[in-house]
Amino acid sequence: MTGDPFRALGHPIRRGVIERLAEGPTTVGEATRGFDVSKPTLSKHLRVLEEAGLITRVVDGRTHRLALNVEPLRDAGAWIDEQRGRWEGLFDAVQSFLEERR
Amino acid sequence: MSQRGDGAGATIRLERTFHARAQDVFDAWTSVEVLRRWWHAGRDWETPHAELDLRPGGAIRITMRDPHRGVNYGGGGEFTEIEPPRRLAFTWTWDDDPSTQQLVEVDFTEHGEHTTVRLTNSGVPGRSTEGHVAGWEVSFVNLDGALQP
Repeated sequence: MTGDPFRALGHPIRRGVIERLAEGPTTVGEATRGFDVSKPTLSKHLRVLEEAGLITRVVDGRTHRLALNVEPLRDAGAWIDEQRGRWEGLFDAVQSFLEERR
Repeated sequence: MSQRGDGAGATIRLERTFHARAQDVFDAWTSVEVLRRWWHAGRDWETPHAELDLRPGGAIRITMRDPHRGVNYGGGGEFTEIEPPRRLAFTWTWDDDPSTQQLVEVDFTEHGEHTTVRLTNSGVPGRSTEGHVAGWEVSFVNLDGALQP
């Protein structure tokens, strides 16, 4: 089941992980290094990202490597553009209305 | 268009400055005439229905029609805050995304002969399952490289 990519990005730790993975795939340890929270909490954040399809995990023996999957972000970006365009239309309507009355 | 529901947690912000006093911009924003023109720029769409009842709990509602494709688009909600000429807020639900109720907040700031309008379109507070939806702003700044095809 795919989760909501926006909700998945709604936490600074999860955004931090995504930003690190944007530089390339890395180990779980490297992707979560420096965050001042417990391991179970980190695991929970990673699970949210995995469920949203934003990251994929490859298990290689004892090493878990994480990679960013940008497709959900692309879809989310397209959705944002679409929504933004709708409200831009209302701004355009206000603008033309005001210009005609001036 | 299947991704719409996934965007429930996003916050969209728009800002534009108009060469007009705040009261005039506010009046324009809350006029049925402007509502009718929404999405009409450069198109010959029809507006079979436009309704705007400017009082708390009053309805705002529009149905737009693309006559070439025979498709209707629309949405509506209720005013929750009306403070002329500074602020306006209303709930909003697009007809093509009925499960997602949104909040639209519009702030008008006058400076000299100009007025800046800031629109914030977010999920309705309290609707989120995780409670921190409002904290996320759309920012792909650090992901630009990763998002290149």
